[in-house]
Amino acid sequence: MLVAEVEGLSKRYGAVQALDRVDVAIEPGCTGLVGSNGAGKSTLIKLLLGLLAPDQGRASVLGHDVAVDPLAVRARVGYLPEGACLPGDVTAADFVAFMAQLGGLPPRPARERAAEVCYQVGLDEERYRAVGGFSTGMQQRVKLAVALVHDPAFLLLDEPTDGMDPQGREDMLELIARIRGELGIDVLVSTHLLGDVERVCDRVVMVHAGHVLAQGSIAEVAGTTEPGFGIQLADNGPEVLAALAAAGLPARPSGDDLLVQGASDLIRDVAAERGWPLRRLVPRAPSLEETFLRLQAAAGGPPAPEVQPAAPTPEAAWGVRR
Amino acid sequence: MSEVTAPGGTIYDRGYRHYDGPREGRGRRVRAIAAAGVRRVLGLKRNWKTKVVPWGLLVLAFGPVLAFIGVRVLFAAAADEFFTYAQYLRIVAGLLLLFAATAGPELLCPDRRQNVLALIFTRPVTRSDYLVAKLAALLAVVGLIAVVPLVVLFVGNTLTADSAATYLRQNLDDLGKILIAGSVLTVFYSVIALAAASLTDRRAVATAGLLGVMLGSSALANILFFTAQFDGRRWVAFLSLSGLPGRFVDWLFGAPFDPGTLADQAGFTGPGYLVAMAVVVVVAAAILVWRAMRLRA
Repeated sequence: MLVAEVEGLSKRYGAVQALDRVDVAIEPGCTGLVGSNGAGKSTLIKLLLGLLAPDQGRASVLGHDVAVDPLAVRARVGYLPEGACLPGDVTAADFVAFMAQLGGLPPRPARERAAEVCYQVGLDEERYRAVGGFSTGMQQRVKLAVALVHDPAFLLLDEPTDGMDPQGREDMLELIARIRGELGIDVLVSTHLLGDVERVCDRVVMVHAGHVLAQGSIAEVAGTTEPGFGIQLADNGPEVLAALAAAGLPARPSGDDLLVQGASDLIRDVAAERGWPLRRLVPRAPSLEETFLRLQAAAGGPPAPEVQPAAPTPEAAWGVRR
Repeated sequence: MSEVTAPGGTIYDRGYRHYDGPREGRGRRVRAIAAAGVRRVLGLKRNWKTKVVPWGLLVLAFGPVLAFIGVRVLFAAAADEFFTYAQYLRIVAGLLLLFAATAGPELLCPDRRQNVLALIFTRPVTRSDYLVAKLAALLAVVGLIAVVPLVVLFVGNTLTADSAATYLRQNLDDLGKILIAGSVLTVFYSVIALAAASLTDRRAVATAGLLGVMLGSSALANILFFTAQFDGRRWVAFLSLSGLPGRFVDWLFGAPFDPGTLADQAGFTGPGYLVAMAVVVVVAAAILVWRAMRLRA
């Protein structure tokens, strides 16, 4: 059974069409909802929760029609919203216990479960401090605890690593992977960070300007892009890119390398003809980033500076610990 | 589940467990929001600064009553009568206005300002549940000040009378009037305070706005009545919003209006002021419902 499904869903805010006849099927597992800022990700999530009414179309979550029974949906779904949303003068333990009661737990089990869940998300003694004094990373953990405390069947996480330092992001991604792997809770992660999706998700839905560009398993979606080669030349400037393109080898910068599509011997021959020192030529499997940029360009969108490439490795982290 | 055995006991790391206990319904959610509201208004589980205003007002409401009863118990003949119930209710009405003007915004404004509604409405909580819970919280705390000190005073007067049974028999209707007046004042101040709080997400603005409207309307009514000459000027008595509860209370307890005042000269009786209060409550409730239905997660 699908965890969530939308058919022909549209939503407009004034002159802005946030979603336009979108069809999405969320299967069990961990699904990434990817798109630039303003692509429609948060709107889709709010429509799934029944917090917004669509202009047309329908949505169902865990077998409940969102328009008919939004309260039943919210009873079984946990949501981690983007941005600040915590009361500053209440302790984490008290607030998570309060939210547990809003999920239907009686007071005593709510307090016990709040303590357990706070511990599970990495809030030990900090849970007895007022939330207003927490770092961004700790506040994200509190929001995750709030989302988990009433034992939901489906978690919606909107930019869960937003504002976190590299170690905090690693910890959060590890938590998300555990939530799916060990706890068996289905997860939808909405993010503009493709690297995070590649780390923890099985499936992906790509949205741009209110439309779905692609959806499916990560391997399926990334596999729609031809594999290429990563090359490193002495100069990766625009003249090189133009020369490669003229030779029928589309290329674009990717960090210190150039990503080039074409046969390796042709790439080698072009470099040799031009006298470019070719320092590295390695095969590169298609990535979600390349697929997203290709599909976005095909849909007529600009390059998406907000869509981040793969996250820095832990070795490159600041070393700032929680 | 992992297990470690140590001298004197075994430590279990149970890890995350799914919850298979009882789940309650709408009543639990409303009670949770209301209980959290009462704690917030009284500054419970928060730093000491948030307790100053509510507990200060509670001391002002209860302190004189308890002191009077103590004096009567210790020195029976020394204190004949404290205030009448009507007089004390009019003093309490002033405290109620101050309390509601700070408590109402404390209940509604922070949730909007800190965007906590983004989490609350992702639970199965409707806007009407939220509104009912917040109103219940404010009614409970305002009622504490409006009713309980007077009931304590009545009980104290009864127990310290020469004959408790005689006092009770002769004054039992006063207890009924205390409960009626206290309830009317509780509803009046609670609804208008929440309506004022629903119009802004800044507590100070809501408090100042409510006090300004209540006190300013009374000043305006007095100015219009005593300086202007026009047909029907007696009706401006109903514009004095802060004066309406006191006039109702005086009528209920059979106390005359103070001579020369607007109430005395306008010539209306208690039921008229009760109707005016009802109109104010209905308008305030309509504002509150309209604003609540526009709340967004």
